[in-house]
Amino acid sequence: MNDRDFMISVGGISLAFLIYWFAGHPYFVTERLVMFLTIMIFSGTLMFYIRKARRGEDIFLRDIPGLKAIEEAVGRSTEMGKPVLYVPGIMDMDQVETVAGVIVLGHVSKMTARYETTLNVPVSRAIVMKAAQEACKESYLMEGRPDMFHDDMVHYLTDEQFAFAAGVNGIMVREKPAACLYMGKFYAESLILAETGNSIGAIQIAGTASQAQIPFFVTACDYTLIGEEFFAASAYLSQRPELIGGVKGQDMIKVIVIATILGGVLLRLLNDIGLINFNILQFLKVT
Amino acid sequence: MLWKRHIPILIVAVIGSLTLFGWFIDEPNIKAFVNDDATQWFDILASFAIFLGGFNLLKMQLQKVLRKKQGWQYSLFAIGGFILAIIAGFFYKGNPDVAWGTHVTADGTLFKWIFMYIFAPLGATMFALLAFFVASASYRAFRIRNFEATLLLVSGIIIMIGRVPLGSSISSWFILYLLVLIGGIAINSVFKNKQYTAIFVSVGIIIVTSAGSSMGWPLDQPGIFYLPHLQEWIYMNPNVAGTRSIMMGIGLGIFATSIRYILGIEKSYIGE
Repeated sequence: MNDRDFMISVGGISLAFLIYWFAGHPYFVTERLVMFLTIMIFSGTLMFYIRKARRGEDIFLRDIPGLKAIEEAVGRSTEMGKPVLYVPGIMDMDQVETVAGVIVLGHVSKMTARYETTLNVPVSRAIVMKAAQEACKESYLMEGRPDMFHDDMVHYLTDEQFAFAAGVNGIMVREKPAACLYMGKFYAESLILAETGNSIGAIQIAGTASQAQIPFFVTACDYTLIGEEFFAASAYLSQRPELIGGVKGQDMIKVIVIATILGGVLLRLLNDIGLINFNILQFLKVT
Repeated sequence: MLWKRHIPILIVAVIGSLTLFGWFIDEPNIKAFVNDDATQWFDILASFAIFLGGFNLLKMQLQKVLRKKQGWQYSLFAIGGFILAIIAGFFYKGNPDVAWGTHVTADGTLFKWIFMYIFAPLGATMFALLAFFVASASYRAFRIRNFEATLLLVSGIIIMIGRVPLGSSISSWFILYLLVLIGGIAINSVFKNKQYTAIFVSVGIIIVTSAGSSMGWPLDQPGIFYLPHLQEWIYMNPNVAGTRSIMMGIGLGIFATSIRYILGIEKSYIGE
């Protein structure tokens, strides 16, 4: 789809929505209009930058130390002749963080295939096990090392949080991996895992969007991907233009959000001192 | 190509769009799908997938025992626990008065006994280990290495003391004296002159004492130096500001990732 067709499609969808709106908008939850428009604007911004990147425009992506360190960690494991341990969180595939964790696993397994390093991926959900096995299999195939892949490199332990933590700790203490990567959704077991990894002297890199666990990972790991950095990992590691474009789009959305916050504060102030009769908080409220 | 590429992408796009836009549509069937059916489908899939996980676990542990790999003895416990749980769940209730199905929660059954006296204590033991890990991690985090670590240490101490009854017994005066002493340390490290330090500390103590005496400061005045107020301010302002910014980043990351999936831009899940 070229730019002209893209703009025509966007214009067509907007026109269709306007017609639908003025025709009485049946079935639409009117109270959620602001949220709907926000999603549309954000999606449009993302798509705009993705298209820009696809056209070959140069997009700067700042260095993320944690992601740069992944290759170093795999290299270190190779030099020491020890395995790489990768934990894609403790939740199921219905969590975006787990999905992001499995995506990063695909990139990490490419590196382990390239360096001929042993990869050990304990998981706590059966669906995650199958998804992770597929991701690793594809990576080993793409690196031309299908002979090195075996299903058991991704193995199921248990669904139970602390039983899983005990199982992973056991693996760490017995096998002494040189690199431990934690990428996904974690709860209280995060510190148990990271401190055990620290005690065996492994280089540790964590990535999570679980806000309460970020301080634990920051304390115990060498590198931590905080929130959005974790979601940008796929773009950074693959260097695919459309994914990098998405990260740029995300940054532009952040600019929109900051402008909205500043505008909101100003409007609220003007409303409070009685200069305007428009309550921004009421307008933005979603029920 | 059709089955391994196009159909999975189509399923993700359709179900993703339906789940996203279903929230804006006031139609009972779509609402029911978004709120109940979709999650139930996932639960059903996950229930069947547990067999895959169970067999994988058993296979791995058996391999370990048969090949006498390092730590194979532990695998015997894993296999034993696996078999015992299956027996207690499907073949032996341990209490004939309890019906099948309810035996997993009813008292006096083997399954409940295993849960109460083996599983729960083991889980609690792992959870309790967290206390020691928090201590060792805190030690590393609070070790004074640079300005940020010092800031973290001071904020941590203020919050910890300000949140316990001891904190409300410490007067603002005491904190002001402490600040004067800390200022003295700063002066000494900058000028390396004992006289300057002594003058600063003495003048500071005199100012605090005379100001407090003349204005009759009670325990919690001036409020800004009263630990419970100070910790509340740190907790509700700098802390919340940082937390919210991280939350926004996370939200945007999740949003962008979801949109990439729905639009078929991110296809890593099918190995591309």
